[in-house]
Amino acid sequence: MNGVLTLFKWVFRIITAPVWVPFWILWKLGEVTGLNAVIEAIAMSTGFYVVYKNLTRKPLRLSLTMLAIFVAFTIYGTLTAFQNAFDAGVELSADDRLVSVNKINFTQPLPISYVNRVRPMEGVASVTHLNWFGGYYQDPQNVIVTFAVDEGSFFDVYGEDLVMSEEAKAAWLGNRQGLIVGESIARLNGWEVGQRIPLNSNIFSQQDGSSDWDFDIVGIYTGSDPQIDTNSIYFHYKYFNETQSFGGNFIGFMAIKTEDPDLNEAVIKQVDDLFANSPFETETVPEKVFNKGFIEQIGNIRLILSSVVLAAFFIILVIVGNSMVLAVRERTSEIGVLKTLGFTSPRIFRMVLGESFLLSIMSGSLGMLAAMVMIGVVNNAPIQLPTLVMTSDLAIEAFTYMALLGFITGIIPAVNALRLNIITALSRN
Amino acid sequence: MTKILSQIWVVIVMNITSIGQRIWMSLAAIFAVAVVVAVLLSFLAMTEGFSKTLEGSGSNTVAIVTRSGSQSELNSVLSRETINIVTTAPGIAKDANGDPIYSPELYVIVDGIKKTSGTEVNLPMRGISSVGFELRDQVSITSGRMFETGKNEIIVGEGVLREFAGFELGTTVRFGKTEWEVVGTFSTGGNAFESELWADAPTLQSQFQRGSSFQTIRVLLETPDDVSGMAEMVENDPRLFLDVVTEADYFAQQGEALNGIVIFGWVISIFMSVGALAGALNTMYTSVANRAGEIATLRAIGFSNTSAFFGTLAESIVLSVIGGFVGAMASYLFMDGLSASTLGASFTQVVFKFELTTDLFINGAFLALGIGLIGGIFPAARAARLPVIVAFRGAN
Repeated sequence: MNGVLTLFKWVFRIITAPVWVPFWILWKLGEVTGLNAVIEAIAMSTGFYVVYKNLTRKPLRLSLTMLAIFVAFTIYGTLTAFQNAFDAGVELSADDRLVSVNKINFTQPLPISYVNRVRPMEGVASVTHLNWFGGYYQDPQNVIVTFAVDEGSFFDVYGEDLVMSEEAKAAWLGNRQGLIVGESIARLNGWEVGQRIPLNSNIFSQQDGSSDWDFDIVGIYTGSDPQIDTNSIYFHYKYFNETQSFGGNFIGFMAIKTEDPDLNEAVIKQVDDLFANSPFETETVPEKVFNKGFIEQIGNIRLILSSVVLAAFFIILVIVGNSMVLAVRERTSEIGVLKTLGFTSPRIFRMVLGESFLLSIMSGSLGMLAAMVMIGVVNNAPIQLPTLVMTSDLAIEAFTYMALLGFITGIIPAVNALRLNIITALSRN
Repeated sequence: MTKILSQIWVVIVMNITSIGQRIWMSLAAIFAVAVVVAVLLSFLAMTEGFSKTLEGSGSNTVAIVTRSGSQSELNSVLSRETINIVTTAPGIAKDANGDPIYSPELYVIVDGIKKTSGTEVNLPMRGISSVGFELRDQVSITSGRMFETGKNEIIVGEGVLREFAGFELGTTVRFGKTEWEVVGTFSTGGNAFESELWADAPTLQSQFQRGSSFQTIRVLLETPDDVSGMAEMVENDPRLFLDVVTEADYFAQQGEALNGIVIFGWVISIFMSVGALAGALNTMYTSVANRAGEIATLRAIGFSNTSAFFGTLAESIVLSVIGGFVGAMASYLFMDGLSASTLGASFTQVVFKFELTTDLFINGAFLALGIGLIGGIFPAARAARLPVIVAFRGAN
């Protein structure tokens, strides 16, 4: 029986190691360097020492409560980074970029002739076209976002987001089978410049009936912002159009860069009016609107993620609040003694509140650190996901929540301690 | 032996009836377990509902023929010529005139407005014939009537009506230049076909400039589950680049699309369980500390430490089980039957309902029990090892 318990105890210690090991190391370092003594002296003179001593008087309860807060903030940090990554597609879309698709649905084609009719329009800086290829690499499950694009105008429209060297651009233009790949997808598949790879399409087939195309990787592009998704690959529309067996001279959609975001409305009207009442009517919207609609198709990811975060916060609120009340109630007679000794009620109020703040901020920060580790793990995992980033906004938000948690869980016991009458306190025991 | 059992029983009853004295701590533990179980069950109910919807769509008496490698109906294209060849394959059921029973179908995507978000989403519009209609199990017109051949008329699935705006009976919808009248609504027993708009195939072909091409063919099989005759013919004919699978297999594979969510749900829930576990442990340690005097008294009058151990463990498990039950009830009340839609393998919306089955409840129960067991075992050990003299001192 005892053997099993010891085993359990060790398993538990190992599971909770992320919480206590950093503290243990810090404490040890402090001991060795004598820093602990210095801190103690400072703490003594400021009253912080009592707060600290109160907090650590029941190490077991402290570590359990910390564990709960730690878990909640790890979940919060990781899931919010996910949510931000999904939102990034919308947030980072360019204001001066429009997407023009077939009005019936964006999977329906448009004639390629439309591009040249849009190009000379007033307010249009540049226009390019893209066609979904349905590409996959080696395994049909390994679907890769592949577009056949107009190589000449592609960077005119997307150049501000996707960054690639001039040499690579020149190499791409000069190679009919040239393929440019995003940084993330290149890393995931171990692709390098100069490599020749086959890609299959689950939509198109070559004229000989096969569905594989050969490509030369000529360049790897990066995003101008770390949150820009670099999981897509692009190749020449001409190569696609000449080799595929059906649907020639059709494109998926047009991407239009306007001279100024203020001209968006005018350009939208011009384009959609021009093709109205034709067999291929267009629907032109700002890129932001298009991306938002696209993500909404998957479902309300935002709602799912924030519900989970909310649930996690609810759990700790209850657990931490409860143990704070309990911790202060156990100390009733001590508070009576402190008051007798001349500690003012506001000071005791601050001491109790300080305790809950300290608890919340210490464990919350550790949780956020763990979230950063998780983000690193996810970013390096062999799955296609948008890049997760721990932004400063997210960190500030997290600290706000920590402060809020510290306040909510500490306020009731603090007020109780503030109001506590010395006689009641001392006679309660 | 009976003595130990009766001792344990006495202590368990005593601990449980005294929960009221530690009501807030106990409620915190119950609440934490309830939330964790509710989160897990919600994720599981979502994926269960999705895969049931798709699995329910496939029949094993029908085979579906797509272009090789296309993986979904949307990506497939079949020419009239291919259809004429493949429908001569052996293994296809024949009608009274000796003709093979098959339904060439068209699958195009049109825009609809999702009610919950107000944004445009992809809806599948299927061109079928009366044979195609009969190849679906449980299909019935629930209001209005069937579309007429040669007319721009559509019938809409009940899932579409539930989740997307603008397809009510009698309205006219516009896809590009063409206008279509909604003349009827249909049900297929809650499966994925209810997320579709159906129209007359040749009309759809001409209105969407599809010439004489189709996307898929569905054929009625002579023997259920047996596609070997067709598969063999496809393999031996150099003109055919096709995949033949039973409809049941086709949809079962698509139903796996959300399996990643199951893993995500479990990871999140187990992680949250660690938080809930901290709550349970906290509660139980406090409980043991509060009852130290009580435990010492029992020990002094001859109760074994085993009874102290099991008494504490039982209290923890009872709290978790209550929590698990509350969580399961909450997710049942709020989640079961909830209608939602997401993008399926054919890049169109699949309407499904959250479904909480008994199997899922068992998962929730295991999670709750796990938390109760681990959350109780350490405090129980402390209770069992509490030295009598220290306990009495602690009680003062």
